[in-house]
Amino acid sequence: MAQLETMTAEPEADSNRARLEQAITTAAALLPLPGPITAFAFLNTLQALEHLPFDEGLRQGARLYGCQPYLAEQRYRESLAKGRIRVGDLEAVLRENLGKEAETPVAGLTTRLELQLAMLQYPLRVGPAEEIRWFVLEAEALTQLRSETPQAVRKRFIDETKHWVMRDLRPGDGAGQKKHADPRGARLIADIIERFGEAKIENWSDATWDAFSVQALWRVCREGVLTLPAPARPPVSAVRHRDLLLEATREDSDELVDDILIRFCAAYTDQGFAHWSLPDRDKGFFKSFCELYGEPGGPPRGWMRGLEAELRMVEASGITPLASIAESLERLGVGAEEEEDFITASLLGLRGWAGMLWHMETRGDRVAVRVPAGTVSEFLAIRLILERFALTYVAHEASGYDGPLDRLRPALRRSIGPPPGVSIDQRTFLVFQLTQVLGWCPPALFALTRPQWAALVGEIEAFQGLDRRAVFQQAFERRYRIQVLDALSVRGRIEPKRVPQTRFQASFCLDAREESFRRHLEEVAPDVETFGLAGFYGAAMYYRGAADANYAALCPVVIKPAHWVVEDVVYPLEHTHRRRAKTRRAVGTATRQLHSGSRSFAGGALLAVLGVLASIPLVARVLFPRLTAKLRRAAGRLIQTPPVTRLRLERQSDLPSPTEEGIGYSVQEMAEIGERMLRDMGLTSGFARLVFFFGHGSFCLNNPHKSAYDCGACSGTPGGPNGRALAAMLNDLRVRDILADHGLEIPATTRFIGGMHNTAIDEFMFYDLDLLPNLYLAEFEAAVATLEEVCRRNAHERCRRFESAPLDLTFDEAKRHVEDRSEDLAQTRPEFGNASNAVCFVGRRERTRGLYMDRRSFLASYDPTHDDANHTILARILAAAVPVCEGINMQYYLSYVDNRGWACGTKLPHNVTSLLGVMDGAASDLRPGLPWQSVEIHEPLRLLFVIESTKEAMISIMDRNPVIGNILRNEWAQLAVIDPDSAKIEVFRKGEFKVYEPQTTELPKADSSTEWYRGWRDHLAFAVIEKSDPADELSG
Amino acid sequence: MEYDALFHALGLTVLCAPLALVMLLGLASLVGHPFGERTVGRLVQFAIVAGLLASLAVLGLMLWTGTRQVPIALGSWVVLPDYQFEVKLEFDRLSVPFVILSFVLCGVVGSFANKYMHRESGFNRFFVFYALFVLGMVITSLAGTIETLFSGWELVGLSSALLIAFYQERRAPVRNGLRVWVVYRVSDAALLIASIVLHHMTGGGDFDRLLGNMVDAGGVMHAWPDGLAHIAPHQALIVGLLLLLAAAGKSALLPFSDWLPRAMEGPTPSSAVFYGALSVHLGAFLLLRVSPILDISLALCAIVVIVGLSTAIFAAFTERVQTDIKCALSFASLTQVGLIVAEIGLGFRYVALVHIVGHACLRTMQFVRAPTLLHDYRTMDNAIGAIPANHANGAPQWIPVGARSWLYRFAMERGYLDSLLSEFVVRPFVSSFRWCDRLERQWNDWIDGGPASAPIADHGSATSVTLEELL
Repeated sequence: MAQLETMTAEPEADSNRARLEQAITTAAALLPLPGPITAFAFLNTLQALEHLPFDEGLRQGARLYGCQPYLAEQRYRESLAKGRIRVGDLEAVLRENLGKEAETPVAGLTTRLELQLAMLQYPLRVGPAEEIRWFVLEAEALTQLRSETPQAVRKRFIDETKHWVMRDLRPGDGAGQKKHADPRGARLIADIIERFGEAKIENWSDATWDAFSVQALWRVCREGVLTLPAPARPPVSAVRHRDLLLEATREDSDELVDDILIRFCAAYTDQGFAHWSLPDRDKGFFKSFCELYGEPGGPPRGWMRGLEAELRMVEASGITPLASIAESLERLGVGAEEEEDFITASLLGLRGWAGMLWHMETRGDRVAVRVPAGTVSEFLAIRLILERFALTYVAHEASGYDGPLDRLRPALRRSIGPPPGVSIDQRTFLVFQLTQVLGWCPPALFALTRPQWAALVGEIEAFQGLDRRAVFQQAFERRYRIQVLDALSVRGRIEPKRVPQTRFQASFCLDAREESFRRHLEEVAPDVETFGLAGFYGAAMYYRGAADANYAALCPVVIKPAHWVVEDVVYPLEHTHRRRAKTRRAVGTATRQLHSGSRSFAGGALLAVLGVLASIPLVARVLFPRLTAKLRRAAGRLIQTPPVTRLRLERQSDLPSPTEEGIGYSVQEMAEIGERMLRDMGLTSGFARLVFFFGHGSFCLNNPHKSAYDCGACSGTPGGPNGRALAAMLNDLRVRDILADHGLEIPATTRFIGGMHNTAIDEFMFYDLDLLPNLYLAEFEAAVATLEEVCRRNAHERCRRFESAPLDLTFDEAKRHVEDRSEDLAQTRPEFGNASNAVCFVGRRERTRGLYMDRRSFLASYDPTHDDANHTILARILAAAVPVCEGINMQYYLSYVDNRGWACGTKLPHNVTSLLGVMDGAASDLRPGLPWQSVEIHEPLRLLFVIESTKEAMISIMDRNPVIGNILRNEWAQLAVIDPDSAKIEVFRKGEFKVYEPQTTELPKADSSTEWYRGWRDHLAFAVIEKSDPADELSG
Repeated sequence: MEYDALFHALGLTVLCAPLALVMLLGLASLVGHPFGERTVGRLVQFAIVAGLLASLAVLGLMLWTGTRQVPIALGSWVVLPDYQFEVKLEFDRLSVPFVILSFVLCGVVGSFANKYMHRESGFNRFFVFYALFVLGMVITSLAGTIETLFSGWELVGLSSALLIAFYQERRAPVRNGLRVWVVYRVSDAALLIASIVLHHMTGGGDFDRLLGNMVDAGGVMHAWPDGLAHIAPHQALIVGLLLLLAAAGKSALLPFSDWLPRAMEGPTPSSAVFYGALSVHLGAFLLLRVSPILDISLALCAIVVIVGLSTAIFAAFTERVQTDIKCALSFASLTQVGLIVAEIGLGFRYVALVHIVGHACLRTMQFVRAPTLLHDYRTMDNAIGAIPANHANGAPQWIPVGARSWLYRFAMERGYLDSLLSEFVVRPFVSSFRWCDRLERQWNDWIDGGPASAPIADHGSATSVTLEELL
């Protein structure tokens, strides 16, 4: 019998465990995954919800996270007032959203479209009854019409009310005639007439009539609303005991739990900061916590009484974390049906740390100190145990509840009672405000029947704040989309022609920051061609530089590299290298000792005596950052790696691995990468003698979020080595032979050079120049001179966005300004990264060349004329470009819309912890996302992909690649295609392509970018940058 | 004495520069027209440089004339038959280095903050509090009477609590700010009681009289730290303990150490100058100022040494397990402050002074550079080359294996100070107040004849309440 029982019990336990595991995995996917802050991963925080339409997924995410999905309505209204959103946009969006329902009549007064448009156009005051009362008093809303009411409406409003009162409602004229056409109406407003002095009604002034009509209107509206049934109350959504307890008692049990968990998580994930790390960390989260806190003699806190015994018991029983979770859930009274919601909410309660654990668990290759699989479950198990104790304690202390925990929620729900209903006044006030701008007069409203009232109020109340903000957001996006598409269609009339006889060709990352650089380069040197590619140049790799200790993954975060590459110092300099490495090690060890020693007992005392000397670098760095940086660099040069190094690119063994033989690629793989990149960028003919591949990175001091400024396509690391690797591959003659066999002939005279663009100070460095034949020196130096000139101009354009940079800087001053910024300890905005990004153009550069795009556009090169019938090239470009750019864009979107909720707020109180992330102040959840200082100038718009291709191609790619399909079909990014031949544009909305009719045929023109942006700080419109021909001017 | 007037003028400049700054920034904010960022930056720089130059001039003049003590009386505010509130500044070997240190660090950090706080919504608020802090520091350092010292002490405490709660829209800063404020109140109360006791003993709050910083009968000048206090040892013990309590609160010595890491909520520059450099040393400064009292009572000295050393050991130990840079730095600061206090107890006045100055400079630098930690560690890792994969930074070897995990938790929970405080001080307080509250409610209900009804208007019952009654 007993045997039988265990036999039936086991499969059940198994299925329970599987269900729990599944629930935890599902919940964990919702956690923010910023990864370690040293390699910032630009991912859509709501990635796990991308299978839902944007609005739905965003709202669900916002509910789970407790954050704002859109900007505040007020912000959109400001944009409306500024003309950034137009009423026409709102109307168009509403029409599109409502479709056939747009013209649905509402209570015979108006249409749905008109009603919703009015609700968007005019601010509606909603709020608790007390707030409405205050507003009515302040704004004298019951004595005068709203200021927004148009003049014509005002007049009609008073006139009709007057007629109505005088004709239909007034008691007899004294001659005994009773012509009460409407006793109900008379009753309704009799006392209002009385209020203003009935006797002199004929002599009432306009102001009196004004006030009277408003009050009559109020009365009529109220009368109408009064007959309606109360609106349905939203069900209480809180699933956690803590949320209910917080609502009932204002006491937060999470504060107790988090206090311990934050400290423990920080110790557990520590990457080597603390001098003394967590004992028995290897035993895993669950066990090491139980051991540490199970020991007697712990903190004497009331809520932790009994915890030690419990943890010891857990440990002794050898119960698994999953079983412990199951037990906690049972004790908390959480049934199987709400398990997943409960687990999700519990994990999201400390989402920064939980997300970090999940990231470390799933992407061990991105951290130095790893955690075993299942850590998030262990974390959850501990969290639930602590939560049980905290809940019991808080419930007892704050509300005297001593019953079992599984009955806590019903008890709390009872004590909270139903949510406060909406009062009649609140409901009336909404209608009341709206009628004034729509010009519905009291008599017309008075004539409404009860069903009509129900329809009207229902219609108004159905169009809620979030719906309105969603419409505003779409209108906000529409306005910019029109500008982009207009600009592209105007440019589209020019036949795309490649530059003949190019002096050199330069390829950049598709990053929005490089847009201005490429534009300036083409302005300065019209005989130069530029290209854009995802900045890892197809060479996904773990890379270790000659002076690096660890490998870093150089590829988008969604890819796990399969190759390893190291940098070696060339043999003749090997000796110097070793000597310098030794010196560096000595200096490093000394610094480390200084660093940690200064915080210790005796070392600190010793140093403190010499501490006065610290005032010298302190004063120097704060007051003279530039000079100090120069000195520091000069000193650093003495111990740097020698300048001549080589990438170890060719592999000895068959399979790649991080061993001596396994490092690098096979020649065949190199040829594949090389061919792929050249075909992707559309450079298969017309090679210049010099072709550059530039990666990019950013260097700045005192900025924990530095890696968010590095290459997003290299998961937050500088991407120079990727460009260098590609150049080296393509210079390899064996590779060229293979390519020639594939019909891609690279002229023998063409040399590829890898380089890196420092986007913070606008500077270039080049790799492997020792291999460049002297024959090319003159051309190379000319190219460098051009690039340096462009750097100055690019720095100048960037400076217009920095408020602390004067607008009248010269090019040289601007360059110096950006250099200062990156060296300044006090500078919180060394650059703005990809802030303000809004477009991603995939197509030939000739389509956008000479167009001022204000650093807002990702630019990926793609030549549709070279693609095959399956659109293979486009499909693989988009496979990287769509998730990378959308990830960047959504990260900026969310970080801007609710900076404190989705992201990490202002960076000023940030506190670097565990060498992994930042907390706010002394202790807080780990903060993901971008700080306010980096997103300040952003405009939260969904990215608009404009792809030079056909709609058939895009449909087939969306079908083939589910990631791209989800993002574009569910509108997490917008999509438009521009026809390669006719340049006709089609926009993808709600699952179908529609032809776009350009609204303009002309674009403003400027001689140079500088002329167009000079003197402006804000976003700028598109313009054509074209040197006007002096001959033209003369003849004109 | 032709130099007297010059001293007087310079002394006034030292005080008035920060005072004028507070006035200007404060008044501008009061009338609702705060200055722009650039102007604020210039004003702060100007005031601090002016104060610094004047204090350097005082120093030069003192060296030139060979004076060791320059009292500058600014008059009495309250004069009663046996009580007077004197405002008096005192330049001597303690206050001059301290005031110069304050000006230098405040100047550097002020100029840092001017860029760091760029476009922050609380920019003006930050600098108003900052100016208040500078003023408080100057008054405290130069105070010649215990009342003057107290007023500076209060300004420092106030600005410090307000800056901790700078991000008032979040809960944690406000709570922690309040917590620090409460600890400060306790220490302020001790200081206040000490000053009353001193008044009773010596009839005034003047340090010179109190601590015997004056020319004695033999014509020998006793300036700091050679003053000869004329009170009995038991009196010295009482006053000294009160002052130690005050100092312990301000400098986060045991048992108040819990608040220091909690103070890391404000913007980085304020953490740097307050808890790395100046504010945290004020307790030590107070003990230095009254050190002649310490000379009288050996027991007092012993207690000071014990408090200092135990704080230092506790903090050094706790620092080892900290995983975030700001808490690590704050415990590192505390270690040194503890040592400094121990030095004072042992009678090494000048050593303590040098230690303060050096430590303050070093720590400010470290705090200001705190956000660059990741960069520093990567550079170091790269240089050392050792892959810190399982970095197992072990327990200190001298700790017995069996005790390690207990001690680790003890350090991680910061010596349970927080728990002890909330369990044994806060909780009884709160529950007794809750009890009073309940009592009052019952009393009220009894008078009103029944519990009050909830005034919330619900849909059904709203017919009686209408907005029209507002007309």
